[in-house]
Amino acid sequence: MSTFTGTGHLIRFILRRDRLRMTVWTLSLSGMLAMTVPTLAEMFADPEQRMARAAVMATPTGIVFGGPGYGLDDYGLGAMVANEMTMSLLVALAVMSVLHVVRHTRAEEESGRAELLRASVVGSSAQMTAALATNALVCGAVGALLTLVMVGNDLTVADSVAFGGGIALAGVAFGAITAVCAQVSEHARGASGLAFLVVGVLFTFRVVGDVAERGGSAPSWFSPFAWAQQTRMFDDLRWWPLALYALLITVLFAAAYSLAGRRDLGAGLVATRPGPAGASPLLNGVLALHLRQQRTSIIAWTTAVALFALSFGTLVSEIDAMVEQNPELLGRMGLDAGNMADGFLGMLVLYVVMATVAFAVLSVLRTRAEENAGRAELTLAAAVGRIRWMGTAVLVSGLAATLMLLLGGLAMGLGAGLVTGDADWIGDVTAASAAQAPAVLLFVGLTTLFLGTAPRLVGLVWAWYGYGLVVTVFGILMDLPDWMLDAGPFQILAQPPAEEFDAVPFALVLLTAAAAVAVGLGGFRRRDLVSV
Amino acid sequence: MSTPAIDVRGLDKRFGSFTALDGLDLTVQPGQVAGFLGPNGAGKSTTIRVLLGLLRADGGSVRLLGGDPWRDAVALHRRLAYVPGDVALWPNLTGGQAIDLLGRLHGSVNTVKRRELLGRFELDPTKKARTYSKGNRQKVALVAALASDAELLILDEPTSGLDPLMESVFTDCVREASAQGRSVLLSSHILAEVEKLCDTVTIIRRGRTVESGTLDEMRHLTRSTVRATTDGDASALDGLPGVHGLSVDGRSVTFDVDNDRMDQALRALTDLGVRSLVSNPPSLEELFMRHYGDELAALNGEGRGSA
Repeated sequence: MSTFTGTGHLIRFILRRDRLRMTVWTLSLSGMLAMTVPTLAEMFADPEQRMARAAVMATPTGIVFGGPGYGLDDYGLGAMVANEMTMSLLVALAVMSVLHVVRHTRAEEESGRAELLRASVVGSSAQMTAALATNALVCGAVGALLTLVMVGNDLTVADSVAFGGGIALAGVAFGAITAVCAQVSEHARGASGLAFLVVGVLFTFRVVGDVAERGGSAPSWFSPFAWAQQTRMFDDLRWWPLALYALLITVLFAAAYSLAGRRDLGAGLVATRPGPAGASPLLNGVLALHLRQQRTSIIAWTTAVALFALSFGTLVSEIDAMVEQNPELLGRMGLDAGNMADGFLGMLVLYVVMATVAFAVLSVLRTRAEENAGRAELTLAAAVGRIRWMGTAVLVSGLAATLMLLLGGLAMGLGAGLVTGDADWIGDVTAASAAQAPAVLLFVGLTTLFLGTAPRLVGLVWAWYGYGLVVTVFGILMDLPDWMLDAGPFQILAQPPAEEFDAVPFALVLLTAAAAVAVGLGGFRRRDLVSV
Repeated sequence: MSTPAIDVRGLDKRFGSFTALDGLDLTVQPGQVAGFLGPNGAGKSTTIRVLLGLLRADGGSVRLLGGDPWRDAVALHRRLAYVPGDVALWPNLTGGQAIDLLGRLHGSVNTVKRRELLGRFELDPTKKARTYSKGNRQKVALVAALASDAELLILDEPTSGLDPLMESVFTDCVREASAQGRSVLLSSHILAEVEKLCDTVTIIRRGRTVESGTLDEMRHLTRSTVRATTDGDASALDGLPGVHGLSVDGRSVTFDVDNDRMDQALRALTDLGVRSLVSNPPSLEELFMRHYGDELAALNGEGRGSA
């Protein structure tokens, strides 16, 4: 008998419970690469095209969404994949690892299911070990399939292994980060929020370090996002950066087990203190309740979005520096320094939009959680109408998301203004983000629509969001067909400052969002409440 | 007679192909404490959710305090208070905050009554809801409901998490509410609780009402258990109309008898010469077992769907 007793059973149980989820992640990540590599090979068949491509990847935009720029001097297919695909795969794997580890550790404790398991012959470390082991298993499977895809496209075996292996190890490291975060917070939502924040900060370190200097600089080395590309695969392969993952994983595992061993089941590291014996006069209705429930997440998301926007906004100064170093580059791209900065910031605004949309959808979905938990029943059994309850929740989500978007734009403009000394950026970028508000509200509307009329299909909202995310990221780096972009949610509106503001789609999308909210609320009024 | 507090007739509710309620009837007169009995999965909570306008009826008529629970939900909810069987609270609010919030959503909070009830139920209102046990979460909902001025209390298995001491506090509180003229619908499968508190009882099974009336009326319909010692051979009682389950052991005899045949059975006994006699009135439990006994036998060893 040890603290690990039962781990094997739990691993099989997780594999059974998540077999679909894990398969979808594995196949979609490796499938994405399998489709992209031949496309890249075909699109950039001749060296002239590849060098033009390398010039794009040397810009700050290329570095933010690609990598540190190894192999740009002789930009072959392998170097291209390594430089342009690694970051997307790492981000996706980070999201998967955070969700997976929280789902099988803190979420189980919070729901009380962990108690049921721990009361049987299951050691105290078994659940976390099973969660980390299954996460490592999926990361390993993804890494192996990625390696196979590369080798299958006639790329060098050793570099392909470094590619797949680096990505897999990064996934395991993100799982380990999450395991530590899961010890701190009592709530699954708090744990994943904290883990995503850490992941975001690490991503920023990579971006800031890599933009500062070709091949990365000091800040890059603090980030596991950088190490996978620091093997310089398909350029000048070295293995030792992968050892950094092993080191980090060991340290984080030790920390997670040590923290877990010190606390009670279900408890966080900070003990719950008694609170007020009565509600303040402010907690006096549905609006106050929704605000109170969302307060922490609104503040956390807004702060995080604003900080990322601020730091990303400062990257605009790199464009000036690059123009000085390499003036003929802009000519080759048919741009001047001014509209290049416009395009760069316009694209970064889209990232603020996508983060805000993620918040907005999660925020509206909390009504679903309230319903499933039975709290909606308690509230609606009081003198509270359905439309008022749901409508107020949607209002809170919509207002908070709009505010977040505007503050994100403001912070980014501030960042750009600070480094360039040009205060115009502040107004321009804030206006650019305001121009995207209908896209955010459209998602608020769609989520409401599904929750009101067909709650089981609400996953479709995430599907469209995911699609939009992928075509936006890849649309920036490569020429996707117009219909693919048009089918996504983030290309409907005009994108200032590079594009002229267009009131027609702005108004149309806003109206669609309003109509979706109206239909959703009407549906929620008419349907049965979900019973526990 | 004035408008019933609850008047349900022929209520149907289906979830896909599953029929949860199949022509259910339920009436609660103003000022009455009505027991609502049935095993797990019989449809008690579904009925209550229809009464609260959380689920929409598929058929039949449902009137609550003279209104339509689906259409007039908000107006009606001002006049009633509800305690769910499994109370879910906001984990980051304290019990006291949740009570105040529920009270304010309802209309107003009676602070004197709130304080009194917190004391009687020995509930610490400064604890965060996530640290409460099931019983304490139930107390939060009970305090919120009982501190309101609602004229109808709808209580769905409200004592399932309470200890015996708190159960008796709860019993007192319901009696007081009833004395103030409030109507109470009390769903339960604890028969003693219903026998103690309720004026009328409705027993449901598989979404259908199988028995309803006052406890006295229902006892008339049922059998008493008679235990006696006689001089003569009690086997003579065999075959007497209304006598069931006769068992003779020497001079002692035990049998059940339909209440309206009691007279004949006693005559037959006295003819034999009675030395001692004990007659137990039918308990609700026997009533219940008579309706579900066959189901229990049929399902012996099999699983049964739950709510």
